[in-house]
Amino acid sequence: MDKKIFRCKNCLNVSTRDRVEFDERGFCNACQWVEEKKKKVDWKSRWNELEEICEQHRGQGDGFDCIVPVSGGKDGSYVSYMLKHKLGMNPLAVTIRVPLSDPLGDENLTNFIDSGYSHVLLSPNMEIMREMNINGFKKFGRPMVGWQTFVHSAIRRLAIQYKIPLIFFGENGDVEYGGSSESKNTPLVDVSFSKNTYLSGTYDEILPIDKFSEKEIFWATFPSEEEIEKHEVKYLHWSYFENWDPYEHYLVAKEHCGLLEKENGNDGTYTNFAQTDSVLYSLHTYLMYIKLGFNRCTQDCGIDIRRGAMTREQGLQLVRIYDNHYPSEFMGEFLKYYKMTQDEFDLIIDRHANKDIFEKINSRWMPKYEIE
Amino acid sequence: MLVSIVDYGMGNILSITNALEYLGVDVILTYKETELRNSDKIILPGVGSFRVAMQNLKERKLDVILNELVMKEHKDILGICLGMQLFASGSDEDGFSEGLGWFSSVVKNMSDKLDDNVKVPHIGFESIETTKKSILYKDIRNHSDFYFVHSFSMENIYDEITSTYNIGNTSIVASIEKDNIFGVQFHPEKSQDNGLRLLKNFLQK
Amino acid sequence: MAKKRLIFTLLYKNGNYMLSRNFRLQKVGNLEWLNKHYNFQNIAFSIDELIVLNVEDPEKRDLVEFSKDLRSLSKFCFIPIAVGGGINSMDDANLLLHSGADKLVLNTAFYSNKKLIKELIQHYGKQNIVSSIDFKRLDGENIVLVNNGLTRIEFSLKEHIDSVCELGAGEIYLNSIDKDGTGQGYELDIFDEVTLNLNTSLICAGGAGKYEHFLEGINKSYIDGVATANLFNFLGNGLQKSREFLIDNKVNMAKWHNRLEHELKNILRINNE
Repeated sequence: MDKKIFRCKNCLNVSTRDRVEFDERGFCNACQWVEEKKKKVDWKSRWNELEEICEQHRGQGDGFDCIVPVSGGKDGSYVSYMLKHKLGMNPLAVTIRVPLSDPLGDENLTNFIDSGYSHVLLSPNMEIMREMNINGFKKFGRPMVGWQTFVHSAIRRLAIQYKIPLIFFGENGDVEYGGSSESKNTPLVDVSFSKNTYLSGTYDEILPIDKFSEKEIFWATFPSEEEIEKHEVKYLHWSYFENWDPYEHYLVAKEHCGLLEKENGNDGTYTNFAQTDSVLYSLHTYLMYIKLGFNRCTQDCGIDIRRGAMTREQGLQLVRIYDNHYPSEFMGEFLKYYKMTQDEFDLIIDRHANKDIFEKINSRWMPKYEIE
Repeated sequence: MLVSIVDYGMGNILSITNALEYLGVDVILTYKETELRNSDKIILPGVGSFRVAMQNLKERKLDVILNELVMKEHKDILGICLGMQLFASGSDEDGFSEGLGWFSSVVKNMSDKLDDNVKVPHIGFESIETTKKSILYKDIRNHSDFYFVHSFSMENIYDEITSTYNIGNTSIVASIEKDNIFGVQFHPEKSQDNGLRLLKNFLQK
Repeated sequence: MAKKRLIFTLLYKNGNYMLSRNFRLQKVGNLEWLNKHYNFQNIAFSIDELIVLNVEDPEKRDLVEFSKDLRSLSKFCFIPIAVGGGINSMDDANLLLHSGADKLVLNTAFYSNKKLIKELIQHYGKQNIVSSIDFKRLDGENIVLVNNGLTRIEFSLKEHIDSVCELGAGEIYLNSIDKDGTGQGYELDIFDEVTLNLNTSLICAGGAGKYEHFLEGINKSYIDGVATANLFNFLGNGLQKSREFLIDNKVNMAKWHNRLEHELKNILRINNE
């Protein structure tokens, strides 16, 4: 039978995910990477590379020697902590202001900063960001892609401005969670990787050049390759240098950076300590779900299965309960933010729903497939 | 069917009540002679101290009442855990305390006969060995598992034993029986379907 | 020897059941949720014992509301149920024992209310009193925390274990705060250390995420029962699968049939009609 969607035999990752690859056992590339990380990767040598890079740039320039994009969540906090306390660097933590921020997210960011970090809140013109988010939502089913763009563009601009040579991104999402494994042996995030992988090629089409001038959208634009080379700014994945373990980051952030969890849990999943900074994230993952067939629960199960805390069978029970979560509780806020009516909103959802794997029943998209 | 549970301030009454109600009988918790007499079956529960239990029974004249109902009027009675132990002539807990005396056995601390490295109180599920045919074990496989939680066990009893279990090489009395009097050291209300089946057998006798 | 036990722990707070991660709580769902996703009546057939702990903040605990949930939980649960969380008096104990508890679990009282412990043991027998101990590692030492994990006591873990045994605890529920909710497995190295010469029944807790963790714990000779409070990982048929896994791996566990509903429910009423 020709199945439109199947899941990794190890971690429940879906086949419909962008760029994901499977081996003959049916293990996705994220799971293969876990095996490789244990046996083949020379972590000592990679950490040495990191130490050398830090050695080379430590204390360089007038002030900060590296930037860490943070949201107050576990991963950015962890990377900042490591750079400061284990590698003796002087990091500047930078947050791209997020629309519809969650009070817990705000609290976590404050706690993080107060645990001892220099921080910049980069607020782009939120109307520009909104236009990009609206464009992304309508054209690509990517409701937060405007915000995501700034993480890659504005932060590079800031690094050039402040003459900071290093930017430490967290994990290489494709390699760690499922996607193309091409980049597993390099830490470098070049502009084309940002645009093609992280922003899925949406960049050129969402930039609101019709509504704003070139100078106004400066922060949404990328520096040229020449500029980047000239200022020697390197945008690196932390996950190249150290085994990426999100649960460990949660424990460290909890202990050292004041990270708090949502007592009522995050909707659409069973964890309560990840991605608590904006309610838009629920919409982002819902779109991901109806386009590709997986939501936060599948992602979280993948992380837990790969770190040995759960079996696939156990994860399956959770995915069946939590994945199909429709973020109705925030609908009012979404409609207001995207300046839409419910009908317009529904039309966009309908447009992006993957009809191979979903069917509309009683005005809600439901999976056609058995989750197994 | 009406089943009475003897109310003398001891025992996990709710658990037994839940089990009996699950099986579909009416349950009454009482110490009154008329109510005990009117019931079809009597259950004597028990958890805790032998001495305190006997004191409580005597306070409510239940030693006399039960003696009348059980020994003279031959009412079916099931003693559970401490309830079973109370049927003995006495217990050597805190010196010596007199029991109901329906069996000439004695209740003693298990540590006395067990190896030093065996943990007492003994807690958990054990497979019992039926040593004599009993209506209680109808449709229950030999070596079925029941829940035990006790520090004292029945001694000086032979023919009236219907099942035992082993801790190492030491044999411990698991259930006893004489005419209309039944006693189980384990908790049938805490032994999943094995226990429920045993209760059903007692009730249907 | 008694069979080894697989134990499920429920953490109750204000009408809801919680998931704990290093003693930080996440609300999962209420009794209805539990019945729906655990089919509680069936779950009881996969485990040997149920432990229900009231983890509400001490000032806000409502034992009466708690005992209502307890009655509901225990109605179709024909296995031992141990209950605890803020037992401060004989009256508290009495209420719980009349609401479905077979055994009592005490934690802080073993440190700061020894008089109550002695009274409870005298009245109910030591076999029904469980000492719950929460510990974590700090600066190379094993420290003990009472009062919902908030207050450190001056004794080391080993000293406190000795102390509760001396007082007469019938069982010990040993819980690692560091491993709690992590799914990384039990803190077996520490258990190995502190349980030499332990002659009291021991249940280990803190860190179980999958079946293998249960096996690792249960295969230790000094461990009599393995517990988990992980409400997510063992949803659906998780506990049943866990039990099967243990039995397949030659662990000596109690065995019983599962199809109780059809045969025994109301059988005596039906027969008599």
